[in-house]
Amino acid sequence: MQLYPLKLVTVVGESVIMEDIAEEGAKLGATGYTITEVNGHGSRSARNVASTTGARTAKVEFVVPGDVAVKILTHISHQYFDDYAVIAWLSDVQVVRGQQYVRD
Amino acid sequence: MTTLLLAAIPLWGILSTEQFTRILESLERNLLTPIPLCFVLGIVCTRIHGGIKIPKELYYSIAIFLLMSIGFMGGHELAHEYEAHGVSTIWKPALATLFLGCLTPITSYVVLRYVGGLSIADSAGIAAHYGSTSAVTYAVANSFVEQTQHPANSFLPTLVTILECPGIAIALLIGAALSARERAAKAAQTGRPAKESKLGEALYEVITGQSIMLMAGLLAIGFISTMFMDPKGFQPFYDFFQSKGMLFRGVLCIFLLEMGLVAGEKLGDLLKVGPFLVAFGVLMPLAHGFLAAYLGHLAGLNLGGCTVFAAIVSSASYIAAPPAVRLTLPEANPTLSITAALAITFPFNIAFGIPIYYEMAKWIGAQ
Repeated sequence: MQLYPLKLVTVVGESVIMEDIAEEGAKLGATGYTITEVNGHGSRSARNVASTTGARTAKVEFVVPGDVAVKILTHISHQYFDDYAVIAWLSDVQVVRGQQYVRD
Repeated sequence: MTTLLLAAIPLWGILSTEQFTRILESLERNLLTPIPLCFVLGIVCTRIHGGIKIPKELYYSIAIFLLMSIGFMGGHELAHEYEAHGVSTIWKPALATLFLGCLTPITSYVVLRYVGGLSIADSAGIAAHYGSTSAVTYAVANSFVEQTQHPANSFLPTLVTILECPGIAIALLIGAALSARERAAKAAQTGRPAKESKLGEALYEVITGQSIMLMAGLLAIGFISTMFMDPKGFQPFYDFFQSKGMLFRGVLCIFLLEMGLVAGEKLGDLLKVGPFLVAFGVLMPLAHGFLAAYLGHLAGLNLGGCTVFAAIVSSASYIAAPPAVRLTLPEANPTLSITAALAITFPFNIAFGIPIYYEMAKWIGAQ
């Protein structure tokens, strides 16, 4: 089977900004994204509001080419790192049907 | 604590011994009932790491039922009021609500910024919470006045929906306008583009959020169906949402238990927020509550109405406001506003505030 090397950008943080991040990622060149509700604890977890009050933690994932991945990570670090509890990382992935993740 | 005691001294001077005893009796009547006791159980359980756990889905389901029930019954009673008096009894309280909705975020902001010395973003963020209202405080206050045999005017749920938005909007506008300069300066310093404001998006989410959509939506549905439906056909809906108050009060106990569990967790943050915010969380509601009881009385509300009106004006939002503030004023520290709203003002209102507003309304002359 043919596998294509691409990048996986994972962003975890306050769910209040996650939909925005997903849409901004799409504008920067991602062809799609996945949002999942998650639980956890981190260095700024004091900022995290209890589930009852409606604010939770979410994870957004993008599978994108390397240049788009860098654009997304740069955007997130400039726009959100100062004020929000959010972390982001990049990993190498091998995907099937690689052409689906590249914008023409 | 010292601030609280100092603030209580002038009250001592105003109140006679007889009035003071009456307040104590009211407190006792309120405190030793299932709804606040369930809240206390929740707090105790969290503090001793007890095993109560309310499933999240149940909590959300109850919130939906409470909002729908408040809206539907409000719409139903509003239709009767409208048939009997037209808008003559409603427009004054509605105007008073709008006025207080605009005033409370401003007074809160001024006190937080100039008395407490908090930053612009923190002051505006907390003011947004106190400018809006808490539907659960409404539900508890309404149960309280029903127990005292002084039910509130039927159109109070309408006032709750009016009160929800303007407070958040005004506080966020103040915050966004004043912190724009700071943000521009920071952007120039770091050489990065200034962060865009998400004010419009945040306000849209408040207006189209679950509380407003369900409460205002069901208010309209209750109103329309009362006006146009055959009373026999309407009865089953009425029975379900009203259920002689049984279902409503029962699920309110479960809801308050969960609120207690969350507030218990937040108690630890009280030390972090400092004595000023603790005093603010108690004294600001008392001041707003007194003003609301007075204006409510002038606008023609009855004793129960004034009490509930004071409770909703003095209460702080912890569902609609936090995400809106987070989006618009990200520099504001959410621990401060959530702790003040949920761990100070909410318990204060449930346990002490509501009976105090009841006595205030009586003292003003509401009947």
